Amino acid sequence: MQNPSGLDRRNFLKAGTGLAAAGLAMANASAKAPEEYGVHWYPFLEHPDSDTCWSLSVGPDGRVYAAACAEGVPGGVVKPVRYNEKKDGLDYLFDLAAMVHDPGTSGRATQCKIHYSFAPSMSDGVLYMATHLSGPPIDLPVYNPWYSWHDEKRRFIGAALLAYDTRQEKVLWYDTMIPKEGCRCLLLDEERQLLYSMSYPRDHFIIYDLKTRKHRDLGRISSINPQTLFLDKRHRVWTTDDYGHLIRYTPETDRLEVSPFTLPHPQYQTGWHSVFYDVAPSPDRECVYASLWCPNTNLIRIWPNEGEWPRIENLGPATQDRDTTEVVGMYEDHCGGLVFAGDGQLYYVASRWRDPKYNPMSASHKEREGVVWRLNPKTLAREEVTTLVHPNGFAHYVTRGAVDHNGDLFFGHVGSYPCGIFRVAMPAGRKRENAHLPLRVWG
Amino acid sequence: MQTKTKPQFDPESPKIKAYLDDVHHGTFIKEGTMVACATCFPGMTTPIPLDESHITALDGTPHGTLYGGTSGRQAHLFIALFHGLSNVVLEMGMPEGAIETAAVCCAGSRVFAFVNGARGGRSVSVPQTDLYGEDFIQEWGYTRPVITDHGECSSGEPVVHAVAGPERKSVVAVTSRHIVTIDATADAANVKLTVVGEAPGSGRIVLGSRGGVFGRDDGNSLWRFDVAKGSVQRHAVTLPKGFGDAPLTWATDAASGLLYTAGADGNIYSFHEGKGFSGVLAQAPLAPVGPMAVTFDGRLFGFCGNEMSKMFCFDPSTGKLANLGVAASVLERRRYGYTFGDAVTGRDGEIVFGENDNGGHLWLYFPRIKAAGARA
Repeated sequence: MQNPSGLDRRNFLKAGTGLAAAGLAMANASAKAPEEYGVHWYPFLEHPDSDTCWSLSVGPDGRVYAAACAEGVPGGVVKPVRYNEKKDGLDYLFDLAAMVHDPGTSGRATQCKIHYSFAPSMSDGVLYMATHLSGPPIDLPVYNPWYSWHDEKRRFIGAALLAYDTRQEKVLWYDTMIPKEGCRCLLLDEERQLLYSMSYPRDHFIIYDLKTRKHRDLGRISSINPQTLFLDKRHRVWTTDDYGHLIRYTPETDRLEVSPFTLPHPQYQTGWHSVFYDVAPSPDRECVYASLWCPNTNLIRIWPNEGEWPRIENLGPATQDRDTTEVVGMYEDHCGGLVFAGDGQLYYVASRWRDPKYNPMSASHKEREGVVWRLNPKTLAREEVTTLVHPNGFAHYVTRGAVDHNGDLFFGHVGSYPCGIFRVAMPAGRKRENAHLPLRVWG
Repeated sequence: MQTKTKPQFDPESPKIKAYLDDVHHGTFIKEGTMVACATCFPGMTTPIPLDESHITALDGTPHGTLYGGTSGRQAHLFIALFHGLSNVVLEMGMPEGAIETAAVCCAGSRVFAFVNGARGGRSVSVPQTDLYGEDFIQEWGYTRPVITDHGECSSGEPVVHAVAGPERKSVVAVTSRHIVTIDATADAANVKLTVVGEAPGSGRIVLGSRGGVFGRDDGNSLWRFDVAKGSVQRHAVTLPKGFGDAPLTWATDAASGLLYTAGADGNIYSFHEGKGFSGVLAQAPLAPVGPMAVTFDGRLFGFCGNEMSKMFCFDPSTGKLANLGVAASVLERRRYGYTFGDAVTGRDGEIVFGENDNGGHLWLYFPRIKAAGARA
C-alpha cells in the first residue's frame, strides 16, 4: 500500500521547519469564531477481549496506530489496529502474541498490551512496538510479576519487540527486548538506531541496539515506572525518578544522572510520584510539554537544550481544584494525550469530575468527562474545545494523542468498555496536510 | 460475531481462592516492618549518586552506629544512625580510585574499609564518630573525617572480604590469594597491613566463637586462621556433603556464638567452632542465599534468589523456615527492594540490610514480635 503521507525523510525535515510559523498564523485565526471539533468514537468491536488502549501513535506513513490491549481477560492478547480513513473505521493488523509465538493459551503471563511503546522510524517506514505485561495466564485470575518472578512456568517471557513495516504491511522481525519484564515506554533514536525503554516491574533503563539486536541494561532508576522517555537534540534521553527528579542518560558518558531539583508539583505534595505521564515535543524541538502521572498534575514546559540542567516552567494545574485532604484516585484525576496539531497548538485531554464544592454538575451530567484543551504555546492561553463522549461509559482517561497526515486528532482511551479510540476532526481552518510531521519518536 | 475468551478456571475453587490470597497477602513482606532509608540526611542533602550507591558492605557498633561502603562507578563510605535524634546517612568520603567496597569493619577506634579499584585492593580507615551528641532535628553539625589510606593489602590482588577479629582489636582480610591482618589498636599513622599466610579468597569470611576466622578453601572445605597465633590451617573443616560452590555467606548469633551459612541449593546449616556443621536445618525458597543476620531471639533473617530476592526467616526454636516475600518499604521511603549486599544486626535487634542496587538504600527490618504463647 502506498504511504498516504507521500513523504520521505527529506520532505519530512522540510515540513517540520515551517511548522512554527504556520502555527502562529493559525493561532491568530482561531480567536475569531467558535469552531467545531467533531468527536468520533471507534470501539475495538472486532477484538472483544480488549479492555484498554494504552498506546496510540502516528506511524511513519502518517496513519494512526493504536493498541487494542486485553489485560483483564485471562489469556488476553494485544492486537495492533490502524485507523482506515477510506472506510472511516479500524483495520485489525494481527494477533501480536501469535506473531511472536507466545500465544495467550501458553499458561504464562500474556503478551496482553503495548504500553506507550510505539516508536515510528521515518527513514524506513518501520513502526517499532514493544509489549508490556499484566494479563494473567489463561487459567489464573490475576498475574503479579513480583509474585511470579521466579516461577518458570508462569512468568512473563519478556517484552517482545516487533518491527512492523508500514509500507509492506508486515512484521519484518521480532525479538525479546527485555527478558522477564514488560516494556513500560519506548523511544527511538533513529539516527543512532537505538531503542530506549523502561522495564517493569524493576524500573530498569534498557538500551536496545537495532544494528546488533542486543539489549543492554543500565540498571534501576526507581520504583515507580515513568510513563515516558523523551529525546533531545543532543541524543540525550530524559525521564523521571520517584521523587520528580529528572533522570538524564547521556550517550557520551553512558551514565544516568539525577537532577538536583524536582519538577513543579502542588505545594501540598512532596514531589513524590511526580513521574512523567505524557510528554509532547514542540514542533521546533526546542522544548517539550509534559503532564505527570500524579493527581493534580501541573502542565510543565521543559527546555532540555538550555543550561546544565533544563529550564523548567510550571504552566499551572491541568485539572480542577479539589479538597486537598481527600484522596482523588489516579484514574479519576488525569491528564494525557498531549499532541501538537497542524495549527501549531498543543492539545491535551484532562479529566473533569463532579465535586460538590469545586465542580458541581447536574445529575444528568456524566460524573466524569474528558475535556479536550487547546493551549497556545506563545501566549499560554488555554481554551476548552470539546469533550470526549463514550457511548455508555466515561471518557476521562486519555492515554496518548496523535495527529494524522490529514491533521485530525486521535486519542487512545481506557476505563470504559468497549474500549477504543477517539477521532477529533479538526476545524477546516486548523487542518494541515502532513500535520504529523516531524514525528514524535517516543510512545 | 467474535466473543470474549472464556477463562479456564473456576473462580470459586479453593485452589484459585488460595492463589489469590497468596498473591494479595504473600507477595510483599509478610511480617515485620521494613523502612527504606536513602543515603542522605532526608530533606537536607542529596543521596549518593544513582550508579555509585550499591551498598555492599556494612558493620555496626554496639551503640547502634552503622558504617557502610558502596560500589559502582565510585565507591563511597558512609556513617548512619537511626537512634536518638538522628535518622541520617552521612557520606564520609570517597576512597580514591575505588569502585568496590568489599568489607567495612569497626575495630579499635576506627572503621576500616577494604576497597578495590584501579589502585588495587586497599585498606583505608576513618575514626569512628559519635553522632549521638548531634541534634538532627535542629542545630546539627557534622564534619567529614579524613580518610587514611593504609595501602594495598597484597600486591595485585583484589580484597574479597574482611572481618573484625576477637574483641574488635584486629581485622582479618582475605584477598584472592592471601590472608592479611591489621592491628586495629595502632594509631592511624602506624597501621600496618601484614600478609600472614596463603589462602584463597572466595566469598565471605567469618569469625568463629573461639578466635578462628574461616573462609572457603579449595575443594569442599574451609581454611581456618587462628588470630591469636597468626597461623593458617588449610582444609581445616570439611563442608557438608552437597554444599556446592555458591559464594559463602554467613550470619552470627552473637548470643550463642553459632554461625549460619547456606549451600548452593539454598540449604541452611549452622556451624560452631569446635562442634562443626549441623545437618541441613531448612531450605531457603530460592538460591543462592545472600546476606543474613540473626536477631536477639535467635531468628535468622536473610534474602535469597537473584534479580528479585525474597526474604526468609529461619526460626531455630521451631526448625521452620518461612518465605517472607519481596522487600517493600512504605515508611520513610516508598520503595521495592530487589537485591541486597550485606546485613548486620542493629542495636535493638533490628536487622539492617544494605541494598546492592542503583539508588541503594539502607533497609531497617523490625521483625514481628513473637506472640506470648511462643515464649520459651
